[in-house]
Amino acid sequence: MTTALESLLRARTGPMTDDLVLHPGEFGLGRIPARLKPAATTNSVCGFCSTGCSLKIHLNERGEALNLSANPDYPVNLGMACPKGWEALTPLRAPDRATTPLLRNEQGELEPVDWERALLVFSGKFKEIQQRFGNDSVAYISTGQIVTEEMALLGALAKFGMGIKHGDGNTRQCMATSVVAYKQSFGFDAPPYTYADFEESDVIVLWGSNLCIAHPIMWQRVMRNRHSPGIIVIDPRVTETAQAATQHVALRPKSDLTLAYGLAHLLIARGAIKPEYIAAHTSGFAEFEKFVAEFTPGRVAGETGLAPEVLEALAAAIAAGKRVSFWWTMGVNQGHEATRTAQAIINLALMTGNMGRPGTGANSITGQCNAMGSRLFSNTTNLLGGHDFTNAAHREKIASVLGIPETTIPRENSLAYDQILDGIAEGKIRGLWVIATNTAHSWMSQGRARDLLASLDFLVVQDMYSTTETAQAAHLVLPAAGWGEKEGTFINSERRIGRAQKVARAPGQALSDFKIFQLIAHYWGCGAMFARWSSPETAFQILKQLSRGQPCDISGIRDYAHLEQAGGIQWPWPKSTGETGSQHPLGDNTPAIAERRLFADGKFFTTDGRAKFIFEAPRPAPEPPDAEFPFVLLTGRGTSSQWHTQTRTAKSAVLRKLYPEKIYAEVNPADATRLGLSAGDAVVIRSRRGSLTAAAFITATVQPGQVFLPMHYAETNQLTHWSVDPYSRQPSYKACAVSLSLSDR
Amino acid sequence: MVAPKKKQPTLSLIDELLAEQSLLQTPVARAAEAFDGTAVAERKTKIFADLIPLSAPQPGEQYAFQVDLDSCTGCKACVSACHSLNGLDENETWRDVGLVSSPDARRPFTQTITTACHHCADPACLNGCPVLAYEKDPITGIVRHLDDQCIGCSYCVLMCPYDVPKYNEARGIVRKCDMCHGRLSEGEAPACVQACPTQAISIVTVTTHVNGRLQADTSSFLAAAPDPSITLPTTRYVTKRVLPENLFAADAAVIEPQPPHWPLVAMLMLMPMAVGCGVADKILGLPTPVLGVCGWLAGAAGLALSVFHLGQPLRAWRVFLGLRKSWLSREAVIFGAWFGLATAYLAIRLGWLPLNYPPLRTALAAGTAALGMLGLFCSVMIYVDTKRDFWRFANTAPRFFGSAIVLGLASALAAPGAPRVLGVLLAGAVVLKLIAEARAIDRTIYDRDLPLTPARKTSLLLTRAPLRSVNELRIAAAGLGGILLPLMIAAGSIPVVAAWPGLLLVALGELAERYLFFRAVVAPKMPGANHA
Repeated sequence: MTTALESLLRARTGPMTDDLVLHPGEFGLGRIPARLKPAATTNSVCGFCSTGCSLKIHLNERGEALNLSANPDYPVNLGMACPKGWEALTPLRAPDRATTPLLRNEQGELEPVDWERALLVFSGKFKEIQQRFGNDSVAYISTGQIVTEEMALLGALAKFGMGIKHGDGNTRQCMATSVVAYKQSFGFDAPPYTYADFEESDVIVLWGSNLCIAHPIMWQRVMRNRHSPGIIVIDPRVTETAQAATQHVALRPKSDLTLAYGLAHLLIARGAIKPEYIAAHTSGFAEFEKFVAEFTPGRVAGETGLAPEVLEALAAAIAAGKRVSFWWTMGVNQGHEATRTAQAIINLALMTGNMGRPGTGANSITGQCNAMGSRLFSNTTNLLGGHDFTNAAHREKIASVLGIPETTIPRENSLAYDQILDGIAEGKIRGLWVIATNTAHSWMSQGRARDLLASLDFLVVQDMYSTTETAQAAHLVLPAAGWGEKEGTFINSERRIGRAQKVARAPGQALSDFKIFQLIAHYWGCGAMFARWSSPETAFQILKQLSRGQPCDISGIRDYAHLEQAGGIQWPWPKSTGETGSQHPLGDNTPAIAERRLFADGKFFTTDGRAKFIFEAPRPAPEPPDAEFPFVLLTGRGTSSQWHTQTRTAKSAVLRKLYPEKIYAEVNPADATRLGLSAGDAVVIRSRRGSLTAAAFITATVQPGQVFLPMHYAETNQLTHWSVDPYSRQPSYKACAVSLSLSDR
Repeated sequence: MVAPKKKQPTLSLIDELLAEQSLLQTPVARAAEAFDGTAVAERKTKIFADLIPLSAPQPGEQYAFQVDLDSCTGCKACVSACHSLNGLDENETWRDVGLVSSPDARRPFTQTITTACHHCADPACLNGCPVLAYEKDPITGIVRHLDDQCIGCSYCVLMCPYDVPKYNEARGIVRKCDMCHGRLSEGEAPACVQACPTQAISIVTVTTHVNGRLQADTSSFLAAAPDPSITLPTTRYVTKRVLPENLFAADAAVIEPQPPHWPLVAMLMLMPMAVGCGVADKILGLPTPVLGVCGWLAGAAGLALSVFHLGQPLRAWRVFLGLRKSWLSREAVIFGAWFGLATAYLAIRLGWLPLNYPPLRTALAAGTAALGMLGLFCSVMIYVDTKRDFWRFANTAPRFFGSAIVLGLASALAAPGAPRVLGVLLAGAVVLKLIAEARAIDRTIYDRDLPLTPARKTSLLLTRAPLRSVNELRIAAAGLGGILLPLMIAAGSIPVVAAWPGLLLVALGELAERYLFFRAVVAPKMPGANHA
């Protein structure tokens, strides 16, 4: 009786309570709500950043993704994921997915059409432009966000099937610098490291990298380091990572190259170099040594704004390290002398012998989930498989693997992204096909970029969403399936090839990029040329053949199942008795070792097998502050819950809660006082190219005279300056001149 | 597949690829991962053994979240993982990550702060709940919310100093973090603990009672967070560093109106009117029943409207359960009783009940008036108990009781046969009430260098868009309907019938004042993120 009364008065159970009661979820998931209990699970590599975390997808009986959790059995992420990974399925359900092809009608509106019409218009328009203005008048912009098999088919189709010469990727905006730096210094675009190096180092130098926010799961590896490492962060801002570091070097923006040469000078002066290593495995050190003699502490202190003691402490920390690893990200890659800066970091690692051993290396941390796949297989900068368009033997090899005439392969290199856009201005490029990237948001000097897109005769955008800034400017939108709705592989920062799985149905008529390329091949009339590319997995087999004999040889990987069993496989993984005669170091049947690094033998991919010291005198940044625009504008990642132009992350209510809704500017308190700014005030930021209004976030984490804007807000690139590194042609997003004033609004 | 099958229309390739796109591998077709319970259990134990307590708390102890500030770098995986592993609604999160910052330009400092329910030793949500929809687990100390008990009154949302319980519109109830008690009881780590890449969150055992008396050490609570002495939050924020002084929340400068709670705004205008009419009726002893009817109608409407504030009104019959601690419970019960008395009194007065026995009538009138005042006092205490600055007693009681007086007088003035001199009294009461209200506006608001205290934020809210215009309306309505017209009526320069539009204006003014009462309050919360 008491119990009955008690339960009448206090409803401790009932449908609402049951909704959250946890039951064993099985599949290693621990306890989860009953309605989320999966019928099976499968693992898929995340499609946001280059860390390449494996996500365990929970499936219902129909094979549809119900939920996901971080995969505890993958060597990359060890059961962890960042908020973007946890929310990876949510953007698929967004209401603004492109569900049919959209064609701009006579009223100037995008109107749904069927695939047949879309494909006929696609082929018709681009062929018409090519006939009138030549084949090279149509270009394409690819991406680091689709699977390798898709980017390879796109590159092959566009360049070999459609006669397009100029195609580049959005990876130009993030990784081009590392590509060129590695190619020139090591003889191949080969990031040498494995994530285990974060755990093995006794000194970790993070240069222009806010690892905590941009790559939180890599930071996990730093935190797992049991050697109490010195963590040195080189960054103008006191970032989250800088605050977690043991030493923060807040150099003047874009004085990195001078700092690196100054460090080389100090290390030589201290005798903290490894002459045996330099003699055995490198070339050009004598010239380099002579060159850095001029970079005296006095000069470097003056140019970097760092106290001589800071320089000494930095050199001392590096000199004292037995296993020093150098890591860089966009702070280095996006600069006016970025390639030389990356190479200056490589030089530091080489001269101190910090290469090829656990916990060492000159290590570029990639941005996008498949930037590395793009670097090797997108057929943009390199001929498929890290080959060279200008090399006849390479063209022959690729032609024979693909069974196509060698004459279909361009003999010249493509224009870079910025040159393609300049080509539009010059009237040379008239048609553009943009795949899975958002030029109208992400390109520097956005106003000019948008004007150029608007001036095209025909712009095709292939994307998951019809609402991206670039899709809104398109004449034709092709609806693409997203991550989770298709199969393929990604290659992460540490060269690990991992599998992405199809666990959800694409909405409406959306098709995987692979299928869209197949259809385009058919409608273009070159379908037969790509008949062998019948599915992503058959395409993967083609990629294996293309890679054979290259430093990125993956011919020893059997198939997708092999990748899954091994927990991803880092390249190289050659077949030991391939036609090239290359010997697999461990034999074919050795299970893939979870973590492998390059250059343990000191042999590089250059013709003489030696790594090169490459250097050049620093140059001033292209747009220094002046009386009218007295501030330096820094841009970068805002929070770990935002990804690039936010086309996906803005679709998750959870992620939206984790970043400021509107654009904000970080302003130093001294500047704020001078300008009469209080926290939250609207501040107008102007550059020579445009202006925006942001909410002031007053913090001493930016230095006086500098202002920081996150790159995720569409307004930011209205201000940035159109300038590129001359070697990598990567945009220099991170330093331009602006003025600040309190808004009168 | 790219090469079309011969002699088929070209459309078929599109159809074929569309069909293929919609195919998913079923679990049977996949090489589904075999579930190995033991291996998983072992692995979990290995990973999380040092992150959750090995044994249950002893008497006087409870479980608590511990956040290692030195390890937390603000990746926010805890928020997402909690959302996914607990199957929360799309826009529902039980954790949040904020930021504190130092004003010291010489030592740039920011620190991300992850926050969930603090599972307080003396939880305000539990103490305020009118239906006992909160329980503090006698062993673990976890503060659990009983979702099937909740009536969706949102009072816990107002009571919690940390903005933890969140009203779920779609479900009509509040939900909040339960420290994954279902996981902890099986030796599994809570979702946020499992998901933190740097192991910054753990579950520890803390002491809450010494010799059976409530005594929790809140010294490891966070600077820049609301005062821990109110509810004794148990979360420990630990660091090996010496944190800078004067830390402030990144959203400290955010000044945004709180939700209006329209049903409550209306109810809290109508109930004082009902009480005021009843008291005026008793005191003035007018021959007309107009005041009584007016009061009863206001009360009936007020009580009816209050139901619209509930997400689960059908469960509201349990509202008496919280009488021991909850002012909301007390208010509901007392106004319920008041309504009974008021109805009986009015029925007798109107001759609808054959009980016109004068002592009974007097007793009923007095009882109704007294209960009404008591109910009103409970209404005041509901807000005072939240410990919010703008809702302190000195600011709330004059408003609620003042409304009773001005609305009672304004109604009385309109009643047939009422003395015109009431107009002077009304005008005086309105002036006094406006003065009392004006005291909430801090005179230092325009000094940008002073810290933004809750009082200054409320003042700014009241004097800036979007609330400024409502404030102006409030003053204009009171000035015209509560001061000018009554004085003119008292002076005999306009007919008494003008008291009716006067009453409407006064009611409108009080409604606006009550709206501002809800919107201009500053709700304490844990440090939020920079909030552009």
